[in-house]
Amino acid sequence: MDESQLIARVRAGESAAERALYDAHVDRVYRLAFRLAGDDALAQDFTQETFIRAFDRLGSFRGDAAFSTWLHTITTTVVLNGLRKVKRFRQRETDIDDAHDIGTTQRLAEPDLKVRLKQAINDLPEGYRTVFVMHDVEGFTHEEIGAALGVETGTSKAQLSRARSKLRVALSDFAGEWV
Amino acid sequence: MIDQHEDPKFEQWLEDAARTTYHAPRTTPREEMWARIEAARRNKHVVELRPWMRWAVAAAAVMILGIGIGRWTAKPAGDSTGTSVAMKDAAQPSAAAPSDVVYQIAATQYLSRTEAFLTSFRADQGGNRGANLRFARQARDLLTTTRLMLDSPAASDPRLSSLLEDLELVLVQISQLDAGQDGGDADFITQGMNQSNVMPKLRSAIPAGPVPARSEGAL
Repeated sequence: MDESQLIARVRAGESAAERALYDAHVDRVYRLAFRLAGDDALAQDFTQETFIRAFDRLGSFRGDAAFSTWLHTITTTVVLNGLRKVKRFRQRETDIDDAHDIGTTQRLAEPDLKVRLKQAINDLPEGYRTVFVMHDVEGFTHEEIGAALGVETGTSKAQLSRARSKLRVALSDFAGEWV
Repeated sequence: MIDQHEDPKFEQWLEDAARTTYHAPRTTPREEMWARIEAARRNKHVVELRPWMRWAVAAAAVMILGIGIGRWTAKPAGDSTGTSVAMKDAAQPSAAAPSDVVYQIAATQYLSRTEAFLTSFRADQGGNRGANLRFARQARDLLTTTRLMLDSPAASDPRLSSLLEDLELVLVQISQLDAGQDGGDADFITQGMNQSNVMPKLRSAIPAGPVPARSEGAL
């Protein structure tokens, strides 16, 4: 059965079709959510929210683009909005913690490459990081990224290029790893 | 031609390293998530009202409650010539001052309006640009009242004051929605409302009894 038939059955209210549609796409949605969130609980929340919204709004899916494209648009919206909220909440907590830490000094150990890489990716501006994770880590094409984020393909390419440049600078201490 | 900023070796190394180490996901917990999705969808109310219907329902509710409060607060005919006992009761020092009653009535009416507005806003997520403009305009109107409430004696109650501050924050965010924005910002506001439990707090602050409908401008 092709996907348009499956979608028609979901619209007709068949719960087995809902499950089949979910099974066909959940891995990629969850992987993307996890890669962007870096936290299993958050990734599960975002995945669930994505499918709940998708099933609720399936009536507005016109079929102009692939279902996966439409679904990934919802995924990125849910994840990025959710992460902004979490970031704001955590920032408030950090401010409070910082106030408690005044007068103490900390000496951090030199992080290894894995830690530095993670930190460097996390430090990228949101748009760069999203494109980098979708393209280089999860293997989305620039066309898919552009459709999901509502930007031109050229913008996606430019953001990826800038993301890589920033990462190369941030990881320059480890140049021996790739030269 | 290779761009001067390109470095194929670095890019290949970066891709490999990021794929294997950056937030590497575990196996998809598909059964657990599906169970929760099904439960959430089962519990979701499926009553779909068009925006104008929501406002009509809210207006009708306020009218009905207004009639209720009118009956509740109306003094029986001939009360002015009532017994000395009734007059003595009215003069009891324990009775609320008239100005306090006015503020309480105004607060109740304001909270009911705000609840109707926020319920409508939440239900209309993903609305079009016109809806964003309409919500922003209504939020600005309510924001003015909120700030007046915060400066009034009604805000001397710490619980009400805290609620008003939460509402002020939400209304400020909604009032800044503009036609050029997509539904993402509205989603973000709604998520913030859910996180801070604004709606449950608001609903619990509204008395279960009738809501006055004619206190507009009391503050």
